[in-house]
Amino acid sequence: MKVTLAMKPGPRSFIPIEAESIVPKNFLAGTDLAVWRGNRELRLDEVFSVSVEGDADRPEDVEVVLSGDDTFRLKRVGEYMDGGKITVLGDIGMHCGNFMSGGTIEIHGNADGWLGREMTGGTILCRGDVADYCASGYRGGRKGMKGGSVEVFGRAGDFLAESIAGGTVTVHGDAGDMAGAEMHGGTLIVHGDCRRPAANMKTGSCYVYGTAQGMLPTFAKNGTVQHEGRTLIHFTGDIANRGKGNLFVKGYKYLD
Amino acid sequence: MNELLIKNACVIDPLRGINAETMDIAIRDGRIVEEVSGAAEVIDAHGALTLPGGIDSHTHICGTKVNFGRYMSPEDMRAGRTPRRGPLHATSGYSVPTTYGNSYRYSVMGYTTLLEGAMAPLEARHTHEEFTYTPLQDTMANVLFDGNWGVMEAIRDGDIKRVAAIIAWTLRAVKGFGVKLTNPGGTEAWQWGKNVSCIRDPVPYFEVTPAEIIRSVVEANELLHLPHSVHLHCNNLGTPGNYTCTLGSLGLIPDLNRKRQTLYATHVQFHAYGGSGWRDFCSKSEPIARFVNMRPQIVMDMGQVMFGKTTTMTADGPMEFNLYRLHHDKWSNHDVELETGSGIIPVIYRRKNLVNSIMWAIGLELALLTKSPWQCLLTTDNPNGAPFVRYPEIIALLMSKRYRDAEFATVHPDTAARVPLPAIERELDWYEIAVMTRAGQAKALGIQDLGKGHLGPGAEADIAIYPLRIDEVDPSTDYRKVIEAFGRTEYTIKRGRVVARRGECLVDGSNATFWVRPKVSDAYDMGKDPDFIEKFDRYYTVRMRNYPVQEEYLNRNRCIETEAAI
Ligand SMILES: [Zn+2]
Ligand SMILES: [Zn+2]
Repeated sequence: MKVTLAMKPGPRSFIPIEAESIVPKNFLAGTDLAVWRGNRELRLDEVFSVSVEGDADRPEDVEVVLSGDDTFRLKRVGEYMDGGKITVLGDIGMHCGNFMSGGTIEIHGNADGWLGREMTGGTILCRGDVADYCASGYRGGRKGMKGGSVEVFGRAGDFLAESIAGGTVTVHGDAGDMAGAEMHGGTLIVHGDCRRPAANMKTGSCYVYGTAQGMLPTFAKNGTVQHEGRTLIHFTGDIANRGKGNLFVKGYKYLD
Repeated sequence: MNELLIKNACVIDPLRGINAETMDIAIRDGRIVEEVSGAAEVIDAHGALTLPGGIDSHTHICGTKVNFGRYMSPEDMRAGRTPRRGPLHATSGYSVPTTYGNSYRYSVMGYTTLLEGAMAPLEARHTHEEFTYTPLQDTMANVLFDGNWGVMEAIRDGDIKRVAAIIAWTLRAVKGFGVKLTNPGGTEAWQWGKNVSCIRDPVPYFEVTPAEIIRSVVEANELLHLPHSVHLHCNNLGTPGNYTCTLGSLGLIPDLNRKRQTLYATHVQFHAYGGSGWRDFCSKSEPIARFVNMRPQIVMDMGQVMFGKTTTMTADGPMEFNLYRLHHDKWSNHDVELETGSGIIPVIYRRKNLVNSIMWAIGLELALLTKSPWQCLLTTDNPNGAPFVRYPEIIALLMSKRYRDAEFATVHPDTAARVPLPAIERELDWYEIAVMTRAGQAKALGIQDLGKGHLGPGAEADIAIYPLRIDEVDPSTDYRKVIEAFGRTEYTIKRGRVVARRGECLVDGSNATFWVRPKVSDAYDMGKDPDFIEKFDRYYTVRMRNYPVQEEYLNRNRCIETEAAI
C-alpha cells in the first residue's frame, strides 16, 4: 500500500504541525487521522491531499510518501514507528522518528533537530543535513539511541548522538560540537571533522575520519590502528568519567 | 458572613482526645465555631473519616535547591504533566513538581499546612515567592543556621545570648519560622572540602564542635521562646554505623520545654544505620527507638524511603557529594556565603538493592517501635526518601502487617537477616495515624494555639474528609482501600472553603505564611550592634539594609511575636 500525502499549499506559515499520527501502521485502518497546528486539531485531509494505492494488512507493507514545500513544518513524523516506510520528498521538522523501533525513514532533504531521538531499531537515511541532537537522548534523559541505524549524507549539527547507548550513526560530512557526548554504547562514525568528540564517554566506539578539533585532554593515547584502509590514532576514555570507550581519529588538535 | 456545616462526620481529633465520634462541625468565616445559623451551607459526611487538615512538618517544596532540582531534571518535569483546567494552572514534574503541582497534589491528599524544611537565609526571597504560588496550603520555613559564621563565633566565645540574638535578627529578617541545623558544622567544613565525622570533630577555623553548636542553639532557641524547637538533621547522614553519632546527638538534649519537645530530629531513617561499611550494613532502628521512648524531649520524623525514582536535596553538601560518587549521575553543589550550602542528585531506590531494601525497612521500624505516635511523625523528607504522593502507601504499611509481609517478600532476599521488621507485629490504628500526620505535627511545631491541627472552636477550619468509614474497613486486610482513601479526599477544606473534591482541586486559593518575630531588648538587637554590622558589611556581598525580606514578599502574612528572655 502506498499512501501519498501532498501538503496543500497555503499561506506562508512557520507554525509547526504536530504529526505523530503519520506512522505506517496507522494507515492500515484508513486515513481518518488528525494532526495539530498550534492549538487546533485538523483532519489529515485539511493539511494534505491524501491518496492511497493498493492495500495492506501489516505495517511492513505500507509506504507513506510526504511531499510539498512545507514538509519542514511537520514534527514527530514516524514517532513510535515499528515497521513500513516513510519517504519525505523534502525537508522534515523536529523529532522525526522519535522512539522508532522498526522500518525505514528516508528523507531527501534536510532534517531538523532530534532526528531519531531515543530510537531503538529501524533505519533512518537522510540525504541532506541534520540539525542538532540527531540520534540523541532528550533533555535530562540518560539514554539516546539504543539500536538501529542512522545514516546522514550531508553534515550534522551539535550534540550528534549525545548519550548514544547502542546502534550505529554514520555521518558522511562534518559534524558539529560535542559529537558523541556522554556516549555509553553503540558506534558513531564521522567521515569529516568534528569538535570535542566523545566527551565524557563511558563505552562504545567513535570514529572520526577527519580531524577532531578541540580534542579533549582526558583521553589516553594508545598508538595507531588500521581500520578499513585508514590509519587512525586510538584513544581510550573519557578518563574524567572513568570511561573505557574507544575513540579513533585521523587527526586531532588540542585546544590552545 | 460565610457559614458551612459538616454533618455526620466521624471525627478523630487527637489534640482534643476525640477518637471516632460522630459529630457536626460548624464553620464561620474560616474558623470553627460552636454553631452556625440555619442559612449555612451543609455538607453531609455520611459517617466518613474526618480529620484536621494534614500538616507536613518536614518537606522540601519551595526555594533555591528545590528549583535547582527542577531545572537539572527536565526528565522529571516530563513525568507528571497535567493541563490547565478552570481555575487550575498546568503542572508538571513528579519528584520535584512545579509549585502548583505540589500544592494541588498535597491538597487532594487532605494537606493544608506545609513546613519547608530548609531555607537558606540569604536566599529566602526565592522561598517566599514560591510560597505565594503554593496556593492551597499555609506555609512556613525552617531557617538554616548550621554554618552561620556569626553564630559559630558567638558559640566559640561562649555567649549563648548572642547566639539567640543573631537567630532572632535573622528569623525576623528572612521571615522564617524555625531554627534548622543541617549537618551542623559539616557544611562549613565542606567549604574547605572537608566534612565533620561526628559531633566531637571541630569545624575548621571556628574550632567549635557540632555538639557545641547543637547544645548552644537549643539553649538559644528556648531563650527566644520560639513556637518550634530546634530542628536537627544530624551529622553523618547516610553512612553505615551512623546510629552511634545519632544517639550521641540526641543524648545532648536536656528537657527544657513543658509544652513540646526540645529537639525535633528529622528523617531519622537516614541516621539509624549499623555496620562498619556497606557489606555489613544493617538496621539500628531498635536502639534509636528505645532511646527516644525514654526521652519525651525528643520528637523525630521517619524519613521513609519508598522504591522508585526521586530527587535528593539537602543543605548537607558533603553528603550529597558522597552520594554523587556512589551513583555517578548528575550532581549540583551550591555554596551560600557565610551561612550554609546544598547539594542535589537524582536517585532511584530499588527493591533489588540490599541497601535500599534495608533503608525502606528502617523507616517503618522507627514508626512501629516508637511507642508514642507523638514522637515519630510520618514523612519521607519529601522528596529525599520518596515524593509525598507515596504517603498513603506508608500509612497502609504502618496499619497492616499483611501488607508489610507482602511487600517484604519482594525486596532483596538478604534483608531479613539485617532488619527486625518481619518480627514486628504492631499495626497502627486510625488515631495513631491521625497523630502522625497532623496532630503530632501541630504540637511539635507549636502551632496548635494558632488553631492548627485540631477542630476545636476557634481553630482554623482546615479539614480533610476521607471517603472511608472506619467501622467498615479493616485496615489490616483492606489496605488497598486505605491507600485509595488517603490518596484522595472526598473534601479538603481550607480556611472554611472546599478547595478539593474527589481528587479535583476547585479553586486557586490564597495561602498564609507563618513567621516568627522574637522581641528582644535593645542590647540584643543585632540591627544596632556595631560588631555585627561591621562584620556583615565586611563579609557579605549584600548590604545589610538589602538583606531583610520585605513584607510584600509574603502573600498573607501571619507574624508570631514571642517575648524573648534576652
Ligand atoms: Zn535534611
Ligand atoms: Zn529535609
